[in-house]
Amino acid sequence: MLKTVNDLTNFDPIFIRYDIKIAPKKRAAADVSTDPALQAIAKGVVEGDEDMVADASKAAIASKGPQVVIDTLILGMAEVSKLWDDGVYYLPQVILSSDALMVGLNMAEEALGSAVVKKGTVVMHCAHGDIHDIGKNVAAALIRANGYKVIDLGSDVPEETVVKAAKDNKADLVTGTALMTTTMSAFHRVAEGLTKEGIDIPVVASGGAVSEEWVTSWDRGVYATFAKQGPEMAADAAAGMSWEDMRAKWNLVL
Amino acid sequence: MPKYTSMAYGSWEEMIFGTAKHPVSIGFGPVELGKKHVHPQIVPHPRPGSEATKEKILKEYQRMTEDALSHCAALGFPSIVIEFEHIYQMTSQPEWAAAIFTQAKAQMKGYYEKYGLKSALISTVADLRKPDMVNMRKCQEIDWMLATFDSTAANGADVLSIETMGGKEVFDYAIQRNDMKGIIFGIGVLSSIDMAWLWPQIVATAKKHGITPGGDTDCARGNTAMFMAGGYTATDVPHTVAALARGCSAARSLVAYESGATGPTKDCAYEDPIIKAITGVPITMEGVASACAHAELQSNLVAAVVDLWSNEAVEYHDMFGGSSVEVFTEILGYNVAQMNAAIELGYAKELQAINIASDKYRDVHGFMLSPDNSYEIGKAIVANADSYYLRAKAAVLKTAELIAGDKKMLLSDFEKDALTKARADVEALPDNEGDFIDMCLSEYSKVPGFDPTSYGF
Repeated sequence: MLKTVNDLTNFDPIFIRYDIKIAPKKRAAADVSTDPALQAIAKGVVEGDEDMVADASKAAIASKGPQVVIDTLILGMAEVSKLWDDGVYYLPQVILSSDALMVGLNMAEEALGSAVVKKGTVVMHCAHGDIHDIGKNVAAALIRANGYKVIDLGSDVPEETVVKAAKDNKADLVTGTALMTTTMSAFHRVAEGLTKEGIDIPVVASGGAVSEEWVTSWDRGVYATFAKQGPEMAADAAAGMSWEDMRAKWNLVL
Repeated sequence: MPKYTSMAYGSWEEMIFGTAKHPVSIGFGPVELGKKHVHPQIVPHPRPGSEATKEKILKEYQRMTEDALSHCAALGFPSIVIEFEHIYQMTSQPEWAAAIFTQAKAQMKGYYEKYGLKSALISTVADLRKPDMVNMRKCQEIDWMLATFDSTAANGADVLSIETMGGKEVFDYAIQRNDMKGIIFGIGVLSSIDMAWLWPQIVATAKKHGITPGGDTDCARGNTAMFMAGGYTATDVPHTVAALARGCSAARSLVAYESGATGPTKDCAYEDPIIKAITGVPITMEGVASACAHAELQSNLVAAVVDLWSNEAVEYHDMFGGSSVEVFTEILGYNVAQMNAAIELGYAKELQAINIASDKYRDVHGFMLSPDNSYEIGKAIVANADSYYLRAKAAVLKTAELIAGDKKMLLSDFEKDALTKARADVEALPDNEGDFIDMCLSEYSKVPGFDPTSYGF
């Protein structure tokens, strides 16, 4: 009689379910305000509920003004980031929260009469000839939700378009993603184009087939492993960190 | 509209690696797929920079092909299938692709004549249509793709395959938001409709040149879901949601075979055990030897019913053991040697049982691909053949039911919650395809670039 998987009761000699062993305990989101009107905004962000954010923001803008709404939205998003870091939230919840945040932010900016001053500007694109952009889109949502202006150029973007966007928008950082090795060569040409224009900013490159070894083989290149690194890399660039220093911080160059 | 209403096999136990109900013969030898033998398939990928000129890319492909063939001869492998997954510059320049295929086929012919090495060449055209940027049916990219199918079919390809992009704009939006409705609409409806439009054209090209229309995998959506879900420590996409998406992938990828494709199937999204259970065509799978391309949680299990064993794709580089193409040809060759030894000794069922035991309960990805579960998902698909939507929905619900119903399939609290919510969301969807499509056309008009006319709406 052939023994099968049905005869096994202990799989530990074959594999160990570390995801079960280290599963984080559920925890409720922390309140970010003692004011019920403001907490409702934060709750909407934490739960990714656009309608809740819209209703609560509308009321709070009228009663307290737009700036306090903006501050609350940011506090709500910070709590979302903590939940993600703690393993309680997964990416889709963060994206839904980001969507909800943008609803409130747009309402507050409209009431304010101007856009909120952003922490910096990031030009993002998917390489010329490459259409695999989901990683770029995730990173863009995370960077935007962390208070940066994102110029999203989309997919299959010619190198000169990227350089022009960086120049026109006084970008702090350019990012590029690619899935295919034979399209990622474009990032090098983007970096050269920036140099020719005298734009001294880093070019962060990432994606399925993009390697640290290759990205760090040309000037301005800084390699990113995960979309989640986007906000901190944007912060580094906006703070004026050079591409050499960013590379030293984020990459290992032998 | 859907065609498959019954299963190719009477039970999952009838399914075994190396044997398919409807074998296919391709290339020099020929390479006989599904006739009591598993063949290796190497997928070499050129280095960055080699695409700069036609001369460079030809040289790169010449060397990669030579490495694969010479290593087979050196190590005594009876056969090799070489798949070229087109880079952008090949599909967009049909004459480049033609030259690359002509060159490779001549090399393969040389090894067949000198050593008797059986070989076949697969042309997997790159789907360059990005649904949110072009009209899927009227764009320069589709003209390039059709021209390149023709140019490679005329110049050495034995099989035509593709990984089509339909529905990816909606899917990408949905998978980032755990939105099962959008996942089913993107994969089950939009991608199926796009395939039903494109695949008859691919089949016609293959027939015109007397070669084989292979298959189409849900790489752009199903594999994206699995890749994003990652390993045990990742927190990007719930594994349960990704597994449900891949149940949907099987319902979608059937369209190729309903349009005349015969296999070998295209690997990448791992839906092919379900496809084999329904259609009986020989399937291509990637497992442990695809670690060069990505990590996975079911590397041994996916060999359970495989006919053509692939490495996904490996970039051309030097390694201690030779070039990466030589190294991965060797890994694949010995993998299948073990499988074929098991077949010859009458131990195939034993090896299948070992591979299933290795990974069935490692994660939900492997669980749903275990032949018993693949078969059940297939049955749900063929029992709901009234529409693309209904069979995709049925595949998702069956996958969820199987995961939730097996006590050995352990889930974290987070995964349990994700599965419960996803299942409830799908159960609440309309019973009628028209109602579902109307609802989705309205809701996903918010997805940037989504153009219903790309799908004939």
